[in-house]
Amino acid sequence: MSVREVVEGDQKVDQEEFLEELKEKNEELNFMREINVGEDNSGELNNVPFVAKDAICTENVTTSAGSKILKNYTPVFDATVIEKLKSAGAKFYGKSNMDEFGFGSFSITCSFDTPKNPHDSERVVGGSSGGAGAIVAAMDKPLISLGESTGGSITNPAAYNGVIGITPTYGRVSRYGLVDYANSLDKIGVLAKTVYGSAKGLEVIAGEDENDQTTSSREVPQYADNLEETSGKLAVPKQYLELDGVEEGVMENFQESIDELEEAGFEVEEVDMPLLSADVALPSYYIMAVSEASTNLAKMSGMRYGLEFDPEDYEDFNEYFSEVRSEGFGEEVKRRILLGTYTRQAGYRDQYYIKAAKVRTKIINQYKETFEEFDAVISPSMPNIAPKIEDAENMDPTEIYAIDTLTVGPNLAGMPMISVPNGKSKGMPTGLHIVGDHFDEQKILDIAYSFTGGGE
Amino acid sequence: MSEDETDVMIGLETHVQLDTETKLFCGCPNEEADEPNTHVCEVCLGHPGSKPRLNRKVLEYAVKTSQALQCSVNEEVFFSRKTYFYPDLSKDYQITQYEVPVGEDGKVEIKIGDERKDIGITRLHIEEDPAKTVHKGGDISNSKYTKVDYNRSGTPLLEIVTDPDFTSPKQARAYLQQLAQMLEYLEIYFPESSFSLKSDANISIDGGQRVEVKNITGTAGIQKALSYEISRQKQLKKRGREISQQTRSYNQNQEITEKLREKETEEDYGYIFDPDLTTQKLDQEFRQKMKSQIPELPHEKIKRFKTEYGLKDKLIEALVSVPEMADDFEELSESHDANLVASWMTGEIKKTLNYNEITYSESNITNRFLDDLFQLIENEKLSDRNAEQVLRDQVDGSHVIDYAEKANAEASTLEASAEERNLLKSEEDEISEFVKEAIDENPDAVDDYNSGDEEAVNFLVGQVMSISQGKADPKSAREMIMEELE
Repeated sequence: MSVREVVEGDQKVDQEEFLEELKEKNEELNFMREINVGEDNSGELNNVPFVAKDAICTENVTTSAGSKILKNYTPVFDATVIEKLKSAGAKFYGKSNMDEFGFGSFSITCSFDTPKNPHDSERVVGGSSGGAGAIVAAMDKPLISLGESTGGSITNPAAYNGVIGITPTYGRVSRYGLVDYANSLDKIGVLAKTVYGSAKGLEVIAGEDENDQTTSSREVPQYADNLEETSGKLAVPKQYLELDGVEEGVMENFQESIDELEEAGFEVEEVDMPLLSADVALPSYYIMAVSEASTNLAKMSGMRYGLEFDPEDYEDFNEYFSEVRSEGFGEEVKRRILLGTYTRQAGYRDQYYIKAAKVRTKIINQYKETFEEFDAVISPSMPNIAPKIEDAENMDPTEIYAIDTLTVGPNLAGMPMISVPNGKSKGMPTGLHIVGDHFDEQKILDIAYSFTGGGE
Repeated sequence: MSEDETDVMIGLETHVQLDTETKLFCGCPNEEADEPNTHVCEVCLGHPGSKPRLNRKVLEYAVKTSQALQCSVNEEVFFSRKTYFYPDLSKDYQITQYEVPVGEDGKVEIKIGDERKDIGITRLHIEEDPAKTVHKGGDISNSKYTKVDYNRSGTPLLEIVTDPDFTSPKQARAYLQQLAQMLEYLEIYFPESSFSLKSDANISIDGGQRVEVKNITGTAGIQKALSYEISRQKQLKKRGREISQQTRSYNQNQEITEKLREKETEEDYGYIFDPDLTTQKLDQEFRQKMKSQIPELPHEKIKRFKTEYGLKDKLIEALVSVPEMADDFEELSESHDANLVASWMTGEIKKTLNYNEITYSESNITNRFLDDLFQLIENEKLSDRNAEQVLRDQVDGSHVIDYAEKANAEASTLEASAEERNLLKSEEDEISEFVKEAIDENPDAVDDYNSGDEEAVNFLVGQVMSISQGKADPKSAREMIMEELE
């Protein structure tokens, strides 16, 4: 059964069966932070199950964003995307596991045990929306899984788990109720088994929201109904082909994908996009991300919610805040707060934060130029297959950051992108990444639809 | 050493709380509540996932005020995060404007006695007010614990920063008074409301280190705080001690400044753009629209009154200080003597209002009432003393003429009411005035009488008869003259 069959064919999901399978698979793989079954809803989505990344606020349901500091935090409101899915008739099933505050590529920084990859339980699920990707792969049922991407956190788990993951244009989907990582980069998107499922989910959650002033007022197309096979011109950035560290199997699958696309009538051409090289896009992305993140996390200080100690035990508020933050935050979070505090500090701000903001504008312009001639930019989604958990834990931070090289460019530019499974390497799935121009979600969905051969 | 011999430099940063319906970034009511932490929501409490949304009304206020302060208004503005940890700050960062404020490079002319001086306005920007902290059982230095009330969190503020142009506390006070008056004319600030003007001051003497004094409320406080701080610095200097760069706080109860912290380096707030708020365009059209809504400002009105009515400076300034009164003055001056209207308004009326602790616009005084009152005075039907009585009765409510209720009544409602109260001039009153006149105009006869010449009274009676054109009764006139002369 697929999302399309539930929405268009009026088939009903056996909710008891779903819950049973969910519990069973989660027991084994730990992709859920909390299973929490919501009410039946009426609407177009006909009670299709949905789960949300744990950074998305849910009224009266714990929202921890993967962090001990928010371990027992229950928001007083639903995020806009949650409200929208519920009122479209989707049925809530809980929160999926993630890297702490989205800081990671493998979900190994999650404070609530590391989730395991359904294709090989010794391997990671990817990150930071790792649980969101793993659940789609694990469950043999229709499902809409909400993820969030700042620098590639939807594409990454989609590729590692062999599912579809769409990241919309920045501003297409309301961020109201998303526990912020980096507000100018954060995008809520959808992971699903099929292109149709991801299109349907996106269609429901997209749109202007008065509570998020960065949302666009553009009309939301009927992405799912509009799906059709297409053709066009695709660009492959030379800088990605020259990248060090892309695994052989990944590159082979990508070459095969190009062949398939050409057979299907697409023109594929290599282009020069110098700003996508690892030494430009990656540092710019990380500087922007950690600068914003370090201010977002300031509010977690044990004053109003989350982890608390007895203030009587401390000399003054400074000591108290420091203790709560030292205890509540994990190592990677502390690292990024320190980095971000440094990059926006007077004296360094101009050469880091301000410069990164300028680079971002240049990267957007470079994409815009490319899209004058091409319909989309394609590449492998990730340079590798999901690594073993043990290996991932032994990587140093800069190695881990480099995993994001293929995804940070379009994320920094706020372009919509979709990752589609394109084969396996050593038994693990790999992904094809399709990046479109701002608000060209329909185009990349159609390309993905064509690539997967249409249908289900 | 007197103040003038010391080289004093003062700059002010003034926060104006704006009386908007809702807060700056959320829909919570922007007003005091009976209970703490009731006018709050996830946004002003800084809950994870909440996002600010801009109250556009605040942009309008900011642009108008910038224009009134002759600032150049930037075409595109955005907001920034100023990050520091403090319990009153719900997000541990404050949303403010950093690189590009709404207004820059303005100036305002202040008047201190007969002296005039231009004060440069460095910038005007929008920011959010933090929550209120309540120090239980003392003040910040000695209380056991502190409670936080977030009702105030997110109240819109305009911060107006001046150049270090003030050379005395008096000038700073004059500036704040004139600024408050300007804001009142712009209908942005109302002195009777609970919204306040708070200033931080930077003070240095003889080119020494800069000391920042925070938390000075109102216009009277500024002079006291600055005078204290200047004399503190002078004392230190006199004793050969160093004036260190530090941040101090003004203690209103004790009227002293107290050290908060040493300022070894500039605080580093790690400003970044607030990515949740979009760039706001203040285009030509919007700026024009705002400009057209700016009424005649106090300094412009003062200038015009001078040429149009030729009144004394003091009278004009007093009239202009109450916008509604200035408006009524202009209307009443069309049918009454401007000097009479102005001296009544700034004299007896102001005095009566002050005595009753009520403002002009809150009082029962209406244009119609004053029109009638001045007419009775001008027609000599009401003596000054009795006119004052009518005014007092109207203001304190003991005898109010309610024109709204008697909309269709005869024009002379006030006259009828005064008559009822026996306040109108009688014949006797008239003769007593003739008597006064005769006495005032014939000091020689008065001297003669005082030196024993009783015949002089006869002369004065004759004068009264002549002034009254024979209407006066000679016998009572004589009695009244004798009474007056005793």
